[in-house]
Amino acid sequence: MTAAARPDAGLKLTGSAPYGTDLDVPGMLWAAFVPAPVAHGRLRGLDLGAARALPGVTVVGPDDLPGLLGPRERDAERPLLVPDEILYRNQPLALVAAPSLAAARAAVAAVRVDVEPLPVVADLESVFPDWPGSDAGAHPQVAAHVHARHGDLAGEFRRADRVLAETYRTASVHQVALEPHACVAEIRGSTWYVHTSTQSPFGVREDLASLLGVPEESLVVDGTWVGGGFGGKGGSFLEPYALLLARASGRPVRFALTYEEEFRLGRTTLPAVIRMETAVRDGSIRARRVRLLLDVGNSLPGRDFATGYSIGFLLGPYRTEAFEVEGYAVRTHKPPFGPHRAPFAPQCAFVVESHLDHVAREMNADPETFRLQHLWVEGSTTPMGQTVGPFGLRPAFERAMTTARSWRAALGPGQGVGIAGGFWSTGTGAGGEARLRLGPERLTVLEGEREIGSGSVLAGLTAVAAQATGIPPDRIDIVYGDTATAPFDSGVYGSRTVGALGRAIQEAAVRLRRTLAERLHGQGQAELVVREGTLVATLGSRSAPVAELLTEAERAEGGLVADGRHFAAPNHLDEDRVVAGQFYPYNDFAGSVHVAQVAVDRATGQVRVERYAAFQDIGTVVDLGSAQAQVEGAVAMGLGTALTEEAIWTDDGRLVNDGLLDYRIPTLGEVPPVDVTFVEGYAGAGPNGAKGLGEPPIIPVPAAVAIATRAACGAHVTELPLSAERVARALKLL
Amino acid sequence: MATFDLSAPESPEAVVAALRAAGPGGATPLAGGTDLLFDLDEGRVAPAHVLSLRRLPWRTLDWVAGALTVGSTLPLRALEDDPQVRTLYPGLYEAVRNVGSVALRQRATMGGNVVRSAPASDLIPILLALDAELDLFGPQGSRRLSVDRFVIGSRRTELRPDELVRSIRFPEPRPSAFCWQRVRPSNDISQVAVATAYSPSDRTWRVAVGGVQPRPRLLPEAARELTGPDPPPAAVGRAAAVAAARSPFVSDRRASEEYRRRLVASLVERAVGLTRPAPPRSA
Repeated sequence: MTAAARPDAGLKLTGSAPYGTDLDVPGMLWAAFVPAPVAHGRLRGLDLGAARALPGVTVVGPDDLPGLLGPRERDAERPLLVPDEILYRNQPLALVAAPSLAAARAAVAAVRVDVEPLPVVADLESVFPDWPGSDAGAHPQVAAHVHARHGDLAGEFRRADRVLAETYRTASVHQVALEPHACVAEIRGSTWYVHTSTQSPFGVREDLASLLGVPEESLVVDGTWVGGGFGGKGGSFLEPYALLLARASGRPVRFALTYEEEFRLGRTTLPAVIRMETAVRDGSIRARRVRLLLDVGNSLPGRDFATGYSIGFLLGPYRTEAFEVEGYAVRTHKPPFGPHRAPFAPQCAFVVESHLDHVAREMNADPETFRLQHLWVEGSTTPMGQTVGPFGLRPAFERAMTTARSWRAALGPGQGVGIAGGFWSTGTGAGGEARLRLGPERLTVLEGEREIGSGSVLAGLTAVAAQATGIPPDRIDIVYGDTATAPFDSGVYGSRTVGALGRAIQEAAVRLRRTLAERLHGQGQAELVVREGTLVATLGSRSAPVAELLTEAERAEGGLVADGRHFAAPNHLDEDRVVAGQFYPYNDFAGSVHVAQVAVDRATGQVRVERYAAFQDIGTVVDLGSAQAQVEGAVAMGLGTALTEEAIWTDDGRLVNDGLLDYRIPTLGEVPPVDVTFVEGYAGAGPNGAKGLGEPPIIPVPAAVAIATRAACGAHVTELPLSAERVARALKLL
Repeated sequence: MATFDLSAPESPEAVVAALRAAGPGGATPLAGGTDLLFDLDEGRVAPAHVLSLRRLPWRTLDWVAGALTVGSTLPLRALEDDPQVRTLYPGLYEAVRNVGSVALRQRATMGGNVVRSAPASDLIPILLALDAELDLFGPQGSRRLSVDRFVIGSRRTELRPDELVRSIRFPEPRPSAFCWQRVRPSNDISQVAVATAYSPSDRTWRVAVGGVQPRPRLLPEAARELTGPDPPPAAVGRAAAVAAARSPFVSDRRASEEYRRRLVASLVERAVGLTRPAPPRSA
């Protein structure tokens, strides 16, 4: 277990790794959207004539679509261009492609749009000023209604010593990947080909097939280097538009967003209001009631996943005798909700941890011991009736408490220390496959995921392949395929890469080593070692250079091939607890516990994070350097959610801060060094018991900062982010 | 970005002549470019000529009996690195080292900051508090103007179309302080900035506030509450209250008016407390 330089570091530092925005194909056109000028309205007229008349310009309007789309049935609920009713500002009305970006913009400017404005619903609290009644599931602005309960809720609340109730609000935050969405599309004969910066080439292919009515076998998606995804580059976005323009123009088409467009159109976390009620008796949590209003923007009714998935995180990793959760996905005139690293879980942890800290304080209990006493451990039953597997949350929490005690011993005025925990479902998700090819001296791993910057592919999968085969990492090459050549993989999401593809690689490695054992006239699995510069297979006392064990055909093809695949075991929750809507089981629980030390300026409310420690339940560390970097990066990103990041929407549905000047991500000046400790030994489903890591370490950050802030100055802030102004209000400075 | 001719004249006379020849809006001087380049990139300005000032002999830092004269094109980073600036003009040092990032300060200049006259400029308040005076260079030669008179509004100054700022002069070392509040402490624009200075020669205070529209401004009513080098807490409290009451405010995406008022009071109190005589100069 050693930290090594990332395999892609040199390429990226020297600018030799081409990202999506670097793509430059000879003869390509530049694309742009004709954006909707209002957040809600009826499209009365769209005059594309002047734009079409411009030299070299290709225009695609709604009426052109039937002639361009493929022959298959397409998803009619997801129109590519506004057919009639505009549902969010900048929604695409039409597309243009031109020989330069300036020419494309000039063409957009030449389009005449006639719109009848309609009333805008920009704020979910304007839809439900009071908590919705039980009939609200049928409300036209509700995309999903989820409801679950278990136990004697009414009785526990009636018998309680205390009932604590609070309301929390969380903000809209963006992924802020450094590279905006970008792709280049081409029609090559009968193949629709797109080269794109994506977390999931196969996911984009599936999406394109349903959006364009083109069979999957006619679509090829090839990934580029990805300048950050964080959830924002999961499904298709610009690809269908670039392909339509390529088909209409007969030329390759480049489509990349400006950073302002990235903010305005990005699918990300939207605001939420959460009501928490907790019944306590004899110092223990007896019952919890949680209600959630989640803004899902223009998400389609019936297709909201976020509410049913997230609401369980609002109960947190805590035991309770009885509970009720009820959530509403509220449609507003904003772009659709989309995933942002551990979607909505940092916000949930902020709410549940702050609330239980508050409950403990109100009960005159030690807030940390109180939470510790209620934590799930292996074998616990979750509120939704799942059994918790190996889970390192409690040991992580105990170690965090030790750290917090030592930090507290040295505190001065205005300083405070807080602990917060959280959990994530790091199941290995939908399927993944990998192909190993053993040449005379090197091993190639062929797979369908691109390295998106986390290190999970280039460092993580290389480490797994090295461990599984015995071949040193410097003799292993990761080769990405496009969707026509690579084995299937469902993509980089859900912290699944090392888990799913790692297990697939392990399976392939076993096959490879068995074949080598047979060729050494034995049974079992051969070992692979480097002897005097030569790759050698050994089995007991027998050994031979790999080169001599390959058949002639294998030497001609480049090596001995073995395939592996991994599909996660299905998990279940207790459906008897579901009253309404769709809930989702969690898999392979990973715990995270963080300690933050902050200093609060009592005259301004400014919070500065001074020290930070993260304890991560990881199962097994696969690659220490990239694992540490993942935790550090997640903490930095979480500090933005905690302190400064907040997309602000006007009442007419316009995003006010659509740039990095007024949408503030942390700089190095705001991120203290992070002490990272991995809690190993609580095995997950990944290779050698590894658990997913990309998302879990962002989850406790806003909560840890909020609890430390309260410890430092008494300010109990129930709204994210903890801007100085909000802290000042909590301190009654205003 | 529209295309333009870029030239770097060797003398201020040549720059001024080029400005006159191009006429209003036809040419733009370029110092550090940390603000101007955004306007060029976004097309908010589209001059035919951009005149780089990098060859002018104005990257200077001059001391005359403790009075500091800063050449207008000196990168801010050079001021920050000067130990005398830190000792004799502590408020200026604090203001300069909190402008943007290190990389930005390697290019950004004091002349550019004053000429661009952003409402949230972090330098103009301390220049006001230190009673800084500008030396303007034009076709008729030099003229001098206080920063207070030079800055007239948001992005508006008394600079004539064919004039340049040659230098900024600080008449005497003064105990001074600069305090700010930002949404994000690093590399951000201040919601409110407060600069204070005490003049030992005429025994008066100056209090300036920035981050308020339309321009940073002096608050003489607040300064009048302060007397002597070490005003009593009650006087400091009065000055803070007067500043909060008298300052013009806006409510925008960076802060509410209510919060800005609170910040002005807090930061005036803090800045006055930090405005202390410099330690004796070592031999």
